[in-house]
Amino acid sequence: MGTENPGRQQFPARPAATPFAAPPQNVMPFSSSGPLVRSESSGFRSTLPAGHQPMMPPSMHMDGSQVSGFRSPPIARFNDPSVPSPPTSSVPATVGPFQRFPTPPFRSTAQVPLSHAPPVGQPLAQPPAPSVSFRTQPQIPLVPMGSPPQSLNSAPPNMNVPYSSPDSTVPAPRPNFQSSFPGHIRLQSNADSQAPPIQSPFSAHQGGYAPAPLPSSSPFLAHPGGYVPPPPVLAPMGLQSRDQMQHFGSGPPIGSIQGLMEDFSSLSIGSVPGSIDPGIDPKALPRPLEGDVEPKLLAEMYPMNCDPRYLRLTTSAIPNSQSLAARWHLPLGAIVCPLAEAPDGDEVPVVNFASTGIIRCRRCRTYVNPFITFTDSGRKWRCSICSLLNDVPGEYFSHLDATGRRLDLDQRPELTKGSVEFVAPTEYMMRPPMPPVYFFLIDVSISAVRSGMIEVVAQTIRSCLDKLPGFPRTQIGFATFDSAIHFYNMKSSLTQPQMMVVSDLDDIFVPLPDDLLVNLSESRNVVETFLDSLPSMFQDNMNVESAFGPALKAAFMVMSQLGGKLLIFQNTLPSLGVGRLKLRVDDLRVYGTDKEHMLRLPEDPFYKQMAAELTKNQISLNAYAFSEKYTDIASLGALAKYTGGQVYYYPSFQSATHGEKLRHELSRDLTRETAWEAVMRIRCGKGVRFTSYHGNFMLRSTDLMALPAVDCDKAYAAQLSLEDTLLTTQTVYFQVALLYTASCGERRIRVHTAAAPVVADLGEMYRQADSGAIVSLLSRLAIEKTLSHKLEDARNSLQLRIVKALKEYRNLYAVQHRLGGRMIYPESLKFLPLYGLAICRSKPLRGGYADAPLDECCSAGYTMMSLPVKKLLKLLYPRLVRLDEYLLKASTQADIKDLEKTLPLAAENLDARGLYLYDDGFRFILWFGRALSPDVAMNLLGADFAAELSKVNLYEHDNEMSRKLMRIIKNFRDSDHSYYQLCHLVRQGEQPRESFLLLSYLLEDQMGGANGYVNWFLQIHRQVQQNA
Amino acid sequence: MVTLWLWLFSFFFLLGLLCTLAFQLMCLVDLEYDYINPYDSASRINRVVLPEFIAQGALCFFFLLTGNWPTFVFSLPYLCYNVRLYMERRHLVDVTEIYNQLRWEKKTAVFKDRLCYSPSLPFSILVAFKYFSGR
Repeated sequence: MGTENPGRQQFPARPAATPFAAPPQNVMPFSSSGPLVRSESSGFRSTLPAGHQPMMPPSMHMDGSQVSGFRSPPIARFNDPSVPSPPTSSVPATVGPFQRFPTPPFRSTAQVPLSHAPPVGQPLAQPPAPSVSFRTQPQIPLVPMGSPPQSLNSAPPNMNVPYSSPDSTVPAPRPNFQSSFPGHIRLQSNADSQAPPIQSPFSAHQGGYAPAPLPSSSPFLAHPGGYVPPPPVLAPMGLQSRDQMQHFGSGPPIGSIQGLMEDFSSLSIGSVPGSIDPGIDPKALPRPLEGDVEPKLLAEMYPMNCDPRYLRLTTSAIPNSQSLAARWHLPLGAIVCPLAEAPDGDEVPVVNFASTGIIRCRRCRTYVNPFITFTDSGRKWRCSICSLLNDVPGEYFSHLDATGRRLDLDQRPELTKGSVEFVAPTEYMMRPPMPPVYFFLIDVSISAVRSGMIEVVAQTIRSCLDKLPGFPRTQIGFATFDSAIHFYNMKSSLTQPQMMVVSDLDDIFVPLPDDLLVNLSESRNVVETFLDSLPSMFQDNMNVESAFGPALKAAFMVMSQLGGKLLIFQNTLPSLGVGRLKLRVDDLRVYGTDKEHMLRLPEDPFYKQMAAELTKNQISLNAYAFSEKYTDIASLGALAKYTGGQVYYYPSFQSATHGEKLRHELSRDLTRETAWEAVMRIRCGKGVRFTSYHGNFMLRSTDLMALPAVDCDKAYAAQLSLEDTLLTTQTVYFQVALLYTASCGERRIRVHTAAAPVVADLGEMYRQADSGAIVSLLSRLAIEKTLSHKLEDARNSLQLRIVKALKEYRNLYAVQHRLGGRMIYPESLKFLPLYGLAICRSKPLRGGYADAPLDECCSAGYTMMSLPVKKLLKLLYPRLVRLDEYLLKASTQADIKDLEKTLPLAAENLDARGLYLYDDGFRFILWFGRALSPDVAMNLLGADFAAELSKVNLYEHDNEMSRKLMRIIKNFRDSDHSYYQLCHLVRQGEQPRESFLLLSYLLEDQMGGANGYVNWFLQIHRQVQQNA
Repeated sequence: MVTLWLWLFSFFFLLGLLCTLAFQLMCLVDLEYDYINPYDSASRINRVVLPEFIAQGALCFFFLLTGNWPTFVFSLPYLCYNVRLYMERRHLVDVTEIYNQLRWEKKTAVFKDRLCYSPSLPFSILVAFKYFSGR
């Protein structure tokens, strides 16, 4: 315990050394006339003398011993899911002799016909027998497709396929076609490519080709999810796959480019570099107007996988070799959101093994999951991840039927569902499960009082008291601070809370450590009285200082035994005591230099150390910041980042305008279902390994994330790497295990399991790519890069990565199909360039000093590091909808579906006669066109319609149109509860507000130094083509 | 006789330096294999960082004083690196980021190890040569 907080060790000794009542530490009773005590704060004064006596409890000594006896085990040992046994045993490196075995389990459990997969080492000249039946497929498209045959005939000269060979009439399929899934084929001829609605003509074709003429002869297409790994056989020599040639280069190329269906999208770009005319139809560019689309393929392939809302892989096809992985220039990894909100009826089932104990693999500690197989007539089971044979415990035994399935399968959710929750027995506890603990640390300096923050916070907390999770065990505590720290004794026996002031900031100690954190249900009245009087207590406070650091330390001391959630409300720059911060932004010269990134890092090491201590004691910190001036969110946010918390930032908070947002988000924070003292580990099959993790948490060992509190709004990213040069298995399994204490006091393990195929073909990896997960991982990497490099470097490296990926893809197909000047990209990644631009223009990465205040950048950075995929994508490419037409429509019942039509984010789409709503998940902007009919404005805004809109609040007026608008807004808000979208109003031409609020966020327009979409696309295209 | 003392002095300093580096490396490797937790590992490493820097600085200074220029020049980059780290206040290991720094820290520790040997080799040969030829 080398990093033990010195304060804690001193603590037990203190009361003995200095009797509490004789305070060199200025422990002032509330009524004493010390300079720091406000005599105006009336409510408390009367009760003090009585309560002052028990302030020196003998129990303090006992506390100290409790600290050591009780708390230390979870610290010294990692209380992770896998470790009741010493951690060494759970080192996953022990993949042993089983490595060579292919995984047979698959065939018997899954219905997927993977058995068709030709073994990787199949000799070239002998295509696997079953493929005969569908080798005819590629012929069929010859008829309907007009233009491509030319490209066929001009196929590379080295196609020395002997037309006289028996195969020639039934040409072997192109690997790309053969391996595609029916629903996934994108058909496109050269001539077609400019059609305005992006790829829609082709999507109409999809699937239409193959199945129609082949009702009988294609057993493969009959299984929509049937997975046929691309036989790495038929690569045209020298054309594309260096990789394949490495393995199979000896055989003669028997394939011919007969597959006319291209499974990529392309876009004609007629420009030469430097020409004025971009030569690109902006309308044809791909745009994610339908929002995020979760990949369906994997779920079809492995129906027992957990839902993508819990786990998303950047590509569902895992490369089988390191060389292949190196050619996949995008990140390879997963986004995990272990507690994602499940829709009603799809909740994660809870399984209680009770006496059996949780069934796990002996060696790799994997939990029982749908992918394990039972053998030896049900007496043994084979682990899906390490393929070790384990014994089935007697109580868990069940007979197998003829197909090897357990007879009791339908009563075993853990064997049929990808997501289950196990009730953990006592081996999984290092201490009794903690109760939910909420501690509030509130800034009461003058700026906090003036902004009205205290009032809103007090009211919100009071209104949430009933909804706090974990009744009746919930504990709650408060402290406030300005230049001194005020504690509140809320013992249930009191009628009113007592305030105690500690003003010695150098040597912080906690008076009355037992009664500061009280059981909510017992002390309910005291807590309510306190919250009612809190705003009035400090309303005349003139103190401008902020002793944040010492206050944080004090809060830590109060909470250190139990852990829990610490909410800090900070309104000014910490100015006193340890952890005081400087005004760093003043020096503009730093921008653009090598020292620039220091501004985005915590200034004082105190913050990181404190964060580490907090995590160690299972405290999660959520930071709420309100100042209009610089508050150094970079430093405050570090506290949240390493404790699994979250940063909420309300620049220039005013309760009148921002109050609603704070109220909603704070109550969401307090009432959402939270998992306490959690640890999470992601296991995966041998040969692959998770190497780096990105998000708001702290690593407690190489692969164990410590999460003092988790909830549904947090997602974590991890990157994979291949350990072996060649993977021998055909499937890789992933298992996310989150061990946590539920608010009800039960220890639980939530397990998500997923399987993904291993492929040998780069094209297949692209086809199975999930752009949402990729973008999420890329944005996290980019934000992390801004912490050690210049913004520009971060943007450039992101761009380079996208270019590399597209170039590699181009190399796969371009030569073969003579695509010359066209931009080609995989269908699955068609939005990648756009999202790349969006990341570059997102707050944490945009511009320099002038573009966004540093605090906003930092808070956005911290937020984006923890956002789940869907919310992130919405933030990156917000929704823009036109409202006036809908509002003017007479019918009252006009369905909201009309509003689904999202517009591209460009100023040209803003019609001066229209009313538009911009929604990025964090705020709404209501844009009033200049020529919008005054009726509409009048109806919506009432008498304010001519006023300056920055001062106008939107509320419901008594007319149909206004009600309709409010209904729409409510509807939009309901779609995402995690944040409250405050509605900003802006009128066209109202500069500079308009450009500041909206125009600079219109992604597709050029703005300042940033690229517009068209330019960006061209730039990427040019870079891809360079020495392509 | 002076040379002998000289040799002995620098020998033990070097030995001490090597030990601190080996200790750091050990902590990092233990951390990687999950034998200790990051808090302990970081505090152990941080405890020996300053001694390491001081010993190295003293050794460097000593080489300079005694006129062992080549050895001094050899150990100069190491000294500069340390001074820079210290000035930028990056010399301590950060618990929160220790796993991300792990690879880099290990590399520097190994490299420093090598660097320690390199001045010691010519130096000891030189000193031994002087010592024996002086007799």
